[in-house]
Amino acid sequence: MADWSYVPQVLVSGLGIGCVYGLIGIGFCVIYNASGIVNFAQGAFVMLGGMITQVLFARNGVSLPVAALIAILAVATLGVVIERIVVRPLWNRKATMFVMILATLAAQIVIERLTLIAVGDQPKTLPVFTDRPPLMIGSVALGYQLIWIVGGSLAIVGLLAAFFSLTKTGKAMRACSINREAAALQGIPVSRMLALAFALSAALGAIAGILITPTQYTAFNVGVPFAISGFIAAIVGGFGRPFGAFLGGLLLGLLQALAIVGFGAGLKNVAALSVLLLFLFIRPSGILGAAK
Amino acid sequence: MTISPSITSPERRPIRLVGLLPWLFAAAVVGYAMVVGGYAATVVSFALIYAVFVTGLNLFMGFAAQVSFGQNAFAAIGGYMSAVLTASHGWGPLPAMVLGIAAAVLAAAIVGFPALRLKGHYLAMGTLAIGLITYEITVEWQSVTQGYMGISGIPPFGIGPWEVTSDRGQLVLLSLVVAACTFAAGRIRRSRFGRALSAVAGSEEAATALGIAVARYKLVAFLLSAGFAALAGSLFVHIVGYVSPEVFGLHMVIVTFTMLYVGGIGTVAGPLVGALIVSLLPETFRAFKDYQDLAYGAALILLLIYAPRGLASLFAPRGRS
Amino acid sequence: MNRLRLEGVTRRFGGLVAVDDVSFEVPADGVTAVIGPNGAGKTTLFNLISGFLPPSAGRITFEGNDITGRPPAEIARAGLVRTFQLVKLFEDLSVLDNVKVGCHLQGRAGLFAALFRPASARREEQALDARARDLLAFAGLAAMADEPAAALPYGRQRMLELARAMAAGPRLILLDEPAAGLNTEESAALSRIIRRIADEGTSVLLIEHDMTLVMNTAERVVVVDFGRKIAQGTPAEVRVDPAVIAAYLGTGKPAMQEPPHG
Repeated sequence: MADWSYVPQVLVSGLGIGCVYGLIGIGFCVIYNASGIVNFAQGAFVMLGGMITQVLFARNGVSLPVAALIAILAVATLGVVIERIVVRPLWNRKATMFVMILATLAAQIVIERLTLIAVGDQPKTLPVFTDRPPLMIGSVALGYQLIWIVGGSLAIVGLLAAFFSLTKTGKAMRACSINREAAALQGIPVSRMLALAFALSAALGAIAGILITPTQYTAFNVGVPFAISGFIAAIVGGFGRPFGAFLGGLLLGLLQALAIVGFGAGLKNVAALSVLLLFLFIRPSGILGAAK
Repeated sequence: MTISPSITSPERRPIRLVGLLPWLFAAAVVGYAMVVGGYAATVVSFALIYAVFVTGLNLFMGFAAQVSFGQNAFAAIGGYMSAVLTASHGWGPLPAMVLGIAAAVLAAAIVGFPALRLKGHYLAMGTLAIGLITYEITVEWQSVTQGYMGISGIPPFGIGPWEVTSDRGQLVLLSLVVAACTFAAGRIRRSRFGRALSAVAGSEEAATALGIAVARYKLVAFLLSAGFAALAGSLFVHIVGYVSPEVFGLHMVIVTFTMLYVGGIGTVAGPLVGALIVSLLPETFRAFKDYQDLAYGAALILLLIYAPRGLASLFAPRGRS
Repeated sequence: MNRLRLEGVTRRFGGLVAVDDVSFEVPADGVTAVIGPNGAGKTTLFNLISGFLPPSAGRITFEGNDITGRPPAEIARAGLVRTFQLVKLFEDLSVLDNVKVGCHLQGRAGLFAALFRPASARREEQALDARARDLLAFAGLAAMADEPAAALPYGRQRMLELARAMAAGPRLILLDEPAAGLNTEESAALSRIIRRIADEGTSVLLIEHDMTLVMNTAERVVVVDFGRKIAQGTPAEVRVDPAVIAAYLGTGKPAMQEPPHG
């Protein structure tokens, strides 16, 4: 049943989805590094990025770039809101890691359901950003959306690298990830860093969601699978290493693409989850080794 | 402060009235449903099935303070085993149920062995993955599970010629099962085995320094919990007569965690009380079906923030079971 | 015969040698103390003996059996039980139940016994209960048996941890800074209890900073610094040992003088 002549084509699209997983994985790492929290509501950001853009664009006639920008800002704001009303009270109470995970997972469900009530359960999609026939390289078609995804993701990764190594805020966030107490002693406002991490991470999720929506669809319940894939990317890359997570995302995307060829599309999630379990059981520190 | 505690043996401690309240509440709810029958009986029946599941979840998460977001996998194994064997292969419900529980415990042993070495968010995600994989398999393995269509025509529970078909009969059956499960949890709580679980919950290092085989106790609690989950899954398919992947999806994870926290994690009566309250409350807002998971999620967040030891703790500051 | 014997025990963390070729013996009778400046490797040494860390090299034997690198629970089952520098109580359990957990190795009841409570399990539970209450009386905690452990004042928590470790029926007990955070009065009471434990036949090996406690309770002292054993002998001997004085002076601590009274 497997037709391996598709492999190059499939790998190319795997690369695209892999970039998206990578961005989501970076989102996990940014929050984890700032706070030690694993935010299971990450998928909600991805879903809302695509969803808000779609609603603004299709219902309200806002142009695509503007709609995307508004969506990113709105989702970043939501990130801060979640940090304030869900994470912060638990953080202050020194809640266990498990309680934090459960609370963010519950936040994910709440956002999902609110979205369902607001826009219904029909899948929606966005037009591709550049509507032209794909570039052909040999027998492999390179769609323009794929170029947008890969280019956009690489640009974001570059910007993040610059942010973490050049700006004062970025350096402060890195200091928090190395040693929160020492950072606090040096006068770094650790709690503001936490809010910022949520905003940044939410924006990353939203961008990922906007980039991928034209090639697939978005619906109120697409968040959790994306979050899981992003988490797997983070694990594969070594948890807490943002750029490892991006690499992990690429690997996962490629692997999943191959799994689709080998076993059919229905089992792509099983394949991804099996990769997760394999890594957790055999090498939980990821291919690069976990941060810290 | 007690002056001379050594006079009263721990087995004969005077039972405080407050400790009886959860049981009276549960008895009243079940009694009401028994009298009224019909729809009320159905709602309470579901609540009791959840109580079985949450009691098992509580053994692992409350007593031993471990984390699993994937116990729905074992409910699915129990449920589908019962459904397939009875509806498609003509087995009796009891042997199918026993085999389902055995299969779930076996699966738990296979995944638990590596998974329980994980800690923190790794364990959380690993177990969540186990639940999701099982869900995907129930969707994709259509030759056996019929995918999203689900399996219908599952006979009601019964042993030999006896069949439990009436609302009230089901309620009696489920009440007995829940009573047995809760009784077992209570006995475990006050035993050498249960104390070892509490020790694992309190400090793994201190427990191991006292010679407790921490990994083994975690695994046994996990297996027990999986067994309870499979029992609940099996009961569910016989009561409803139908099963589909959605029954054991992420929804189940959120609902059961809400129940655990509403009732009070780590207490003996908590799972039953939580299951009843969480099942009954949405019934008063039945017109808003879409809002149910929203309400569960929001309630769970509020509970985690304001009453992490369960609703009861709001009224009795240091509530202990 | 010796209870415990360390031969060339070494532990490296990366390039750092936390415990360097340490050898000594703990006789069956009385109290042996390990002292040394902060960061000398004392707690690492305890972690190696109790199995919480595997040594990089060397051999540890307990009552003639090699326990090098065995898991902690197994070492506890062999009769070597430790306490922790930071008290690790089971806070949600009552004081009595904490000690009953300590009695874990004295019982056999498992899941089946928990569910069906056969007569043998009931007898065992009664025996454990009695034993735990005896130990609470021994530690002066009998009146607080039903309190939650977390509600005890700090000094009592230390005593409870000691009682819990004794409940495991050890033949050698390792105490990691048992007097840390105790006031003088509590420390003196602790000293008496440690003496009693030793006199009743359990060997005691303790790490301690409180020199009054060490001088009053230990028969033998092993001094470590920078992971190496630098002296060994009676308290009176090590107090005047030049290497020991140098080690303590080097850290700027007036540690080995006659301890202050009051």
